Amino acid sequence: MTGIRSNRSFALSVLSLALAFSGPAAAQEAAIRIGAVLPVTGKESKIGSAYKQATEFAVKEVNDAGGLDVGGKRMKIDLALLDDTSDASRSEQLVEQLMAQQKVHAVIGGYGSQLVQAQSVVPDRYGIPYVSGGAGATSIYGRSKWVFGVLSPVENLASTQMDFLSDLVAQGKLKKPLKIALLIENTEHGKDFQKGVKDYAKAHPEFSVVLDESFELYAPDFKPLLGRVAAAKADLFMCDAHLEDFISMQRTYTQMGLYHQMVTYGARGADEAGRKALGAATDYIFASGWWSDLLPYPQVKAFTAKWKAAAGSAPQWYHATAYETVRVLFAAIQKAGSLNPEAIRAALAGIELKDSILPGGVLKFTKTGQAVLPFVVTQNKPDGKVDIVWPKEARTGEAVAPMPKG
Amino acid sequence: MQQALDVVVNSFLAAGLYATMAYGLAVIYGVMRIINLAHAGIMMLGAYTTFTLFTHFSIDPFLSIVVVVPLFFAGGVALYRTVVRRLPRSGSTPSMESLLLLFGVWLVLQNLAYVLWSGDTQSILTSYTLKSVSLLGVRVGVPSLGVFGMSALSLLVLEFVLHRTYLGKAIRAVTQNRDAALLSGVDADRISAVAFGVGTAFAGLAGTLLSTLFAFTPDFGRSFLLKAFCIIVLGGLESVTGVAAGAFVLALLENVTAAYTAVPTSLQDALSFTLLVVTLVVLPQGLPGLSRLAHVRRRG
Amino acid sequence: MTSKRALEAAGMLAVAGALYFAPSFLERGTLNDLWSVALAVVLASSWNLLGGFAGQVSIGYSAFLGIGAYTTVLLALQGTPPVLTLPLGALLAAGFSVIIGYPTFRLRGPYFTIATIGVGEAVRVVASSLSFAGGASGLRMPAGSYDFESNFRSMTLLAVALVWIALAISRSAFGSALSAVRQDIDAAEALGVNSTRLKVTVHALSAALVGLAGGLFAINFQYVSPGSVFDFRLSLTIVLMPIVGGVGTVAGPVLGAILFGWLQLKLLSIPALLSSSLFIYGALLIAVMLFEPKGLLGLVRRLWARRLRRFYIDA
Repeated sequence: MTGIRSNRSFALSVLSLALAFSGPAAAQEAAIRIGAVLPVTGKESKIGSAYKQATEFAVKEVNDAGGLDVGGKRMKIDLALLDDTSDASRSEQLVEQLMAQQKVHAVIGGYGSQLVQAQSVVPDRYGIPYVSGGAGATSIYGRSKWVFGVLSPVENLASTQMDFLSDLVAQGKLKKPLKIALLIENTEHGKDFQKGVKDYAKAHPEFSVVLDESFELYAPDFKPLLGRVAAAKADLFMCDAHLEDFISMQRTYTQMGLYHQMVTYGARGADEAGRKALGAATDYIFASGWWSDLLPYPQVKAFTAKWKAAAGSAPQWYHATAYETVRVLFAAIQKAGSLNPEAIRAALAGIELKDSILPGGVLKFTKTGQAVLPFVVTQNKPDGKVDIVWPKEARTGEAVAPMPKG
Repeated sequence: MQQALDVVVNSFLAAGLYATMAYGLAVIYGVMRIINLAHAGIMMLGAYTTFTLFTHFSIDPFLSIVVVVPLFFAGGVALYRTVVRRLPRSGSTPSMESLLLLFGVWLVLQNLAYVLWSGDTQSILTSYTLKSVSLLGVRVGVPSLGVFGMSALSLLVLEFVLHRTYLGKAIRAVTQNRDAALLSGVDADRISAVAFGVGTAFAGLAGTLLSTLFAFTPDFGRSFLLKAFCIIVLGGLESVTGVAAGAFVLALLENVTAAYTAVPTSLQDALSFTLLVVTLVVLPQGLPGLSRLAHVRRRG
Repeated sequence: MTSKRALEAAGMLAVAGALYFAPSFLERGTLNDLWSVALAVVLASSWNLLGGFAGQVSIGYSAFLGIGAYTTVLLALQGTPPVLTLPLGALLAAGFSVIIGYPTFRLRGPYFTIATIGVGEAVRVVASSLSFAGGASGLRMPAGSYDFESNFRSMTLLAVALVWIALAISRSAFGSALSAVRQDIDAAEALGVNSTRLKVTVHALSAALVGLAGGLFAINFQYVSPGSVFDFRLSLTIVLMPIVGGVGTVAGPVLGAILFGWLQLKLLSIPALLSSSLFIYGALLIAVMLFEPKGLLGLVRRLWARRLRRFYIDA
C-alpha cells in the first residue's frame, strides 16, 4: 500500500517539478538583472545586513538617476537580493538558482570567507561574472576567470599592522625585542591573519610569537583563554575576532586588568558598535581596515555625507566596500556597453575605477581577480575620537605608543 | 596555588550562569518530558527585553529581572495554553512532535527579533560593566559577580518553592513519578502550565544575565543551548541540585583544561560534548545516579 | 500481490529511467532542483531507516554526510577517482556509526537523542581543528572533478534505490524486528531479539547511504567545510523532513524531502520574503505538528478516508 503511494507521489512530484520550472523565457532585456546572495540572518547577519543595506543603497542611487547607460540605452537595475541564512551549501544553491533559472546578468557575492568560497564555484559553470565584496581569503581567487573580489587579502591586513609596529620600533616608541600573544578565531579570516603575523615575525627577528591560540566563534567564556595570555607575558596582544567576540573578550580583558604595550583586534576596534559596547575600554586600540571615513579624499567626504543623509549614521568599512562592489560592477557593465557576460567579465578584468572611495583611490583587480589595495591603520583616542596613524601620508594624528596604563 | 584559586573561583562563577541556563530546560523536561528547543530563542528574547528596558527606560539590567521574570512566566504559561498543550500526550518519553514544534517556535522568535531589533550586534554598557573586584586574590568582573549572585538567589528561591509550596511539591511529585502523582489527584494540566512558565521565566532570566556579559544578535543562544544539554544530562535531567552540580563539573572541566593542559581552547566544546556522551554511557542517570548507585551498594 | 509488486517495480524502473535520461531533455535549472530534492530524499529516507522504522531518533546525522564528503575531497586531492572514494566514504561512515552506536544504543529515548547531538557537535569541533582537513576553512575539490551529468544520475538513482531499500526492509523479517524494537524494546528483547545488534546494523546501513550521498555532495558543491557539512541545522533538517512527511513510513520521508528540499530553496529565492523566511519555516513546522503530527502522509490518508466515507455513506 505505502509502496504504491510512495511511487506515485514520487513520480507526480517529478512531473510537477518539471512543469513548474521550465524556467523564465530567455529575456526581453528591459532591465539589467543583478543577483545578490548575502547572509542576512544567521551568524554572519550583522555584517551581512550591512552589506544588504549598502548594496540596496547603491542600486537605488543608480536607478534614481535613470539607470545605467548600456551601449547608448538607459537601463534600470532589477536587483534580486537573497538570504542564504549563513549556510554555505544554501549559499551555493541560491547563486546557482540565480544563474540557471533567473538568468541574471551578474551576481554580487556574499560576506564571509566560507560562504563566498562555496559560492565561488558556481560562476564558472554558467559563465556569468561574479563580484564579491566580502571575502579577503586569497584561496578563493585565481581559480576561475569569472570570480572577482573587492576585499584585499587578510594577510596584507596583518602585515600592514606589523609594518606599523616596526615603524613604532624605528621611532623608538616601542623597544625591541617584542613578544606577541596571538589569538585568532577559528575561521579562514583568522587563519589568514595568523599567517600574516607569523610570516612577518619569521622575517623580522625583533618580533616573536610566544602564544598562538585559536578559539571557536561566539565562545561563551574567554577567561580561560585570557588566562593563558596573561601567563605568556607578551608585549603585544594581537587578536582577530568577530564583533561579538571582540566585545566579550575585551570586556574580560579589561576586568582581568591585563596590559600590553599595543593591542589590536584585527579589523575591529574603530566600529561604532564596538565603542558603544566598550566605552573607554577601546581607547588606544589600533585596527586596520579596508576603509575609513577619515581618508582624505573628496569622494570619501561626499560618500560619507550621502550615507549619513540616507541612513542616519556614519558609514562603516563594510558599508563602503559593499557600495564599491556594486559600483565597480556597474562601471564594468557601462564600459562593456552590453549585457554579454564575456564583455562584462573582460571589462571587470581591465577596469580601473579612478574615483574609488577605497584606500589608494583606484580600484582594480589583479590577475587572480582579487583587488590588492593598501590598508589604513587607525587608532582609537579618548572621547570617541579615531585617527588614521598609518600609512604616514594619510595620517590624521600621531600614534600613541605604548598604550598609557590604566 | 594562586592558579588553583583562579580556577576554582572562575569555575564557580561560570557554574552559576550555566546552572541558571540549564534549570529552565530541566524543569520543563522533568514535568512534561519535553525537550524545549525554543530555550535558546527565549534566552535571546530575554537579552533583548533587558536591552530595550535599558536603552529606553534606563532600567539597570539586574533590576530589569523584576520585569523579565514575571513577563516571561506569563509568556510561558500563554505559550503552553495556546500551543504546547495541544500536542498529543506521549507519556514517559519526549515526543518528537514537541521537539519540532518548539524548534518552530525558536525560528519564529528569531524572525521576530530580526524584525524588531535587526541583525545588528547589540550590547549593554553600564558604569560597572568594565569594573572588577578582588576576591580571594582573584580579579573578578563585577557583572560576573552580579550574575553569580542572581543565579544563586534564583536557585535558592526555586529550591524553596519546590520544597515548601503545594505547587512545588506537585511539580516534584510529577517529575519523580508521573503516574503516581496523577493517580493521587495532581492536576497535570495546571502543573504543566506552571512548569512551562517557570522554565520560560528561567530562560528569560538567563537571557538577562547573559546580556550583562555578552554582545548578542537574534542568532544568540545556540552554543549555550548545547552546554545546557550537557549540564542537564550530567545533572540527571530531573533534579535541581543535580543541575547545579552538573554545571559546576562542566565549568571546572573547562577551566582546568585551559589552565593545566595544552589542549587548544578551540577544542573545549568537543571536550564538553565528549564528557556528555561518556557520562550518558557510564551513568545514564547522571551524577545523582552515581550517589544512588553508591546508596544501593551500601545497602546491598 | 505479485502483480502489485510488479507494478511497483515497473514504476520505479520508469522513474529511474526518466531520471537517467532527464539531462538530455530538461533545463539545467530544473535538473539542479531535482538534484537537491534527490539529496533530500536520500537523507530523509536513510534517517527514517533508524529513526522511523526502529524509532531511534538521532540528531547527529550530519556527521555521516560530512565523513563521506571529507573522504571524497581528501582522496580526490590525492588523485583518487570517485569510483573508489565514494564507497570508501560510505564504509568509513558506517564504521563510525558502529563505533558510536555501541555505547549510545545502551541509552534510551531522550538520552540517546541528546547523546547524538553531542556526538555531532564534537565531530564538528574536531573537524574544525584538523589541519590536514583544512580546519575551519575546509577544502576545495581539485579542478576538473566536477561532472554534473554523472553526479545528477548517481544522486537521483541513489534516491530511487533508497525508496526501494526502504520498501524491501519494511516488508522483511528484519523490518518486523525493527518495528518490534520501536514498539516495545523490552518485549522484543524478551522474545530473543538482540536489540543492540539490530540497531547497530540498521544504523550502519543508513550511515553508509548518507556517507555515499556525502561523496556526491562534495563533488557537486566542490567545497567542503565543517560549517557546510557538520552543521547542527543540517542534522535538524534531516530529522524534520521525515517527520513533516510522515515518520516510519516509506512515502512519508519522500514527501517531506520534496517539500523541504524544494520549497525551502524556493522560499529563500523570493526576494520579497527576504525577512520572513524563518517565520514561514517555523510557522509551517508548528502547524504541521499541531494539526497533523502524522505528517503530510497522515493528512493525505485522512482526506482520502473522508472521501471514501462520503462516497459510501452519503451516496
